[in-house]
Amino acid sequence: MSETKKQFFSNKICRFCNDDMSKVYIDFFDVKALKPLISERGKIVPSRISGNCAKCQRILTRAIKKARNIALLPFAVEH
Amino acid sequence: MRSYQSVLILKPDIDEARADEALEKIGEFIKSNGGACLKIEKWGKKRLAYRIRKNRFGIYLNIYHTLDSANVTDLESKYRLFDLVIKFMVLRLTDGELERALDTETAEDEEGKEGEEGSAKVADKEDKDS
Repeated sequence: MSETKKQFFSNKICRFCNDDMSKVYIDFFDVKALKPLISERGKIVPSRISGNCAKCQRILTRAIKKARNIALLPFAVEH
Repeated sequence: MRSYQSVLILKPDIDEARADEALEKIGEFIKSNGGACLKIEKWGKKRLAYRIRKNRFGIYLNIYHTLDSANVTDLESKYRLFDLVIKFMVLRLTDGELERALDTETAEDEEGKEGEEGSAKVADKEDKDS
């Protein structure tokens, strides 16, 4: 069972972590970094999919919400 | 005194001279409330992710400044009354965030003025991205 699961969730690498965890900063105006972490509908991609660690995901969530407030990212994408 | 970051969106249909005027006026707002501008960034005209007061575009300004914490509401009400500003956000910054913001300035454009506060200890701050 674990074999099949491994195939689905292969990249469990946090893309924001570095050696010094006290200095993880994610800028809300860095749209290039945030864009891949929201879905087509503008939702935040869960860490279970993106592979981010819990701490970075929390920081990221705050950054995305700030970016939404100042119209850099959408609250919802209309179709 | 705390350090803050103000992000403002101006109306898209004004020309550059008018935008500079507005920026000056905003600087006066901050000074009259007992703060000081540390760094001003113009992000230029950008497409908004959603419509704000029927505008699809906006001119972004980003100002790092200090302010007495009691005067934040005054500054916000001034932004709200200023007719060229269609949206704004005032964020409180921690020391680390401010230092980082002032550091990126020196990395990007050398001729820009240095912030008044102690950003001397740059040497031990080697960050992951540039």
